[in-house]
Amino acid sequence: MQHPGKSKHREQLTGYLTISPALILILALTLYPVAYSIWLSLLEKHSFFPQERFVGLENFFYLWTDSEFWSSLWLGIIYSGWTILFQIVLGVAAALILNETFMGRGLVRAIVLFPYMIPTIVAVILWKWLLNDMYGIVNYWLLALGIVRDPISWLGADHIMLSLIIMSIWQFFPFVLLSILARLQTIPPELYEAAKVDGASAISRFIHITLPQIKGILFVVILLRSIWMFTKFDTVWLMGEGAGAGRFIRTLPVYAYMRTLTYYQAGLGAALAVIMFAILIVTTVIYFRMFQEEADIG
Amino acid sequence: MNRWRFRRLSSRNLLYLGAALLVLQAAFPFFWMVSTSLKPPAEVFVQPPSFIPHETTWDNFHRLFTATHFLTYFRNSVKVSGLAVLLTMVVSTAGAYSLTRYQYRGREKIAGLILCTYMFAPIMIVIPFFILAKKLGIENTHFVLVLAFTSFCLPFTLWLMRAFFKTIPVQLEEAALVDGAGRIRAVIYVVMPLALPGIIATSIFTFILAWNDYIFTRILITSDELKTLPVGVQDLFHSALIDWGLIMAAGMMITIPALLFFVTVQRYLIRGWGAGAVKG
Repeated sequence: MQHPGKSKHREQLTGYLTISPALILILALTLYPVAYSIWLSLLEKHSFFPQERFVGLENFFYLWTDSEFWSSLWLGIIYSGWTILFQIVLGVAAALILNETFMGRGLVRAIVLFPYMIPTIVAVILWKWLLNDMYGIVNYWLLALGIVRDPISWLGADHIMLSLIIMSIWQFFPFVLLSILARLQTIPPELYEAAKVDGASAISRFIHITLPQIKGILFVVILLRSIWMFTKFDTVWLMGEGAGAGRFIRTLPVYAYMRTLTYYQAGLGAALAVIMFAILIVTTVIYFRMFQEEADIG
Repeated sequence: MNRWRFRRLSSRNLLYLGAALLVLQAAFPFFWMVSTSLKPPAEVFVQPPSFIPHETTWDNFHRLFTATHFLTYFRNSVKVSGLAVLLTMVVSTAGAYSLTRYQYRGREKIAGLILCTYMFAPIMIVIPFFILAKKLGIENTHFVLVLAFTSFCLPFTLWLMRAFFKTIPVQLEEAALVDGAGRIRAVIYVVMPLALPGIIATSIFTFILAWNDYIFTRILITSDELKTLPVGVQDLFHSALIDWGLIMAAGMMITIPALLFFVTVQRYLIRGWGAGAVKG
């Protein structure tokens, strides 16, 4: 401590040195590609050949008149809307159950998280097998219990969106469950004791004690899940692969992928990614404005 | 009194019913996968379906290992995910230490930036990433795949490691420094042993994240011998008539490593969750 000034300087330098590898990688591997995609969206470019031509906003003008773009936007909104709603409701309900003490709770908690931890490809082939129209166990049960008279074509044009939504809820609600559960465990039990003495019912305890406590984390979870569902690619793509009945689940991320790797129009693909990004930023800002209070708590 | 007990009992039963349903919805698909993978081809399509195979066979697994490139994909997955974890962990341990132990200008801004990139979705990164990789001529290599995995793991790992380092009291290092140990010795002998559980847990989450990746591998890799498991298995699923027994065996073989790892660290997961532990 002889040279406090010098040691402070050294401390700053070491600080910068130790963070710089991470910072450089993030800049080079994430921020630069995202910035580059804005440039790319202004080009007409083949995905595999080096030729490129600056076309200004032409890609965006084209998309404005492209009915496929609008339908993919709409399908994406339907998909993310329903999956988010049910993930939140089921996630919170399940978290409340797993917050109670009962025998084997630890094991139940671990098992419930399985679907979230497995590779998406496994989740998809698993569900395609469960929902197989001829030999799937779901149709077998529905027929055996007399709920339906003919097998349902779960992966056909009429039902593929429903199947995708159910599967996605199954795969992703454990995230909500765990986030909420982590918060529930920090609520002091005294709060509930007092309410029980006052004779408050379970529902009123939830509304007046639990809900205000989990509001902050709920705000964050809804935001994260909305961003991730709206930009979800692998689950949606693997379920339909863009063609056949898959056209009915061609959401915005799938459409961006197809423009780039099926039609080789990298410029249009990037333009779609930029539009997605813009929608997310605008929605996030509006969301923060609307729920400013909760954001402060969170 | 009696009525009170009855009501308690029934709410208790409701609780058990809820827990049972939760377990069932999560576990049944896996049970079905295991069951199908152990059935001989003819029994896979039998109606009514048998829950426990009448005749158990390892034939599907045998064919998976000998008649497909499964083992190549497996090796690739282990290699690429392993290298990505190594790179991510070295960089993010240093970075997280920096973010929690040193005072410098812009530190909180950097932390905020990292949290921001954590929200970027792969689909927004992968298209420009692919074009840039092509320009550099490094597409279709494991090297670019390691970089890609690092790009989406790093923000998440940094954030998690930062949370772990925050729980280790600074006073311990200061005591070691006062005792005459240098900073490096203090880190190695005092901080690392305490941070080790966090480092292991974070490594495993990162491994699962990389192991499960589909989109980057699909786009960046074209040679069959370089593919990782998720992409390789998808192509297996596409080839000719779907061999459900074989596909379910493949599904099991991808899932088991991820689940084994997950079970060993799941208690850290619940603890680290508040810090935003998982992505997807």
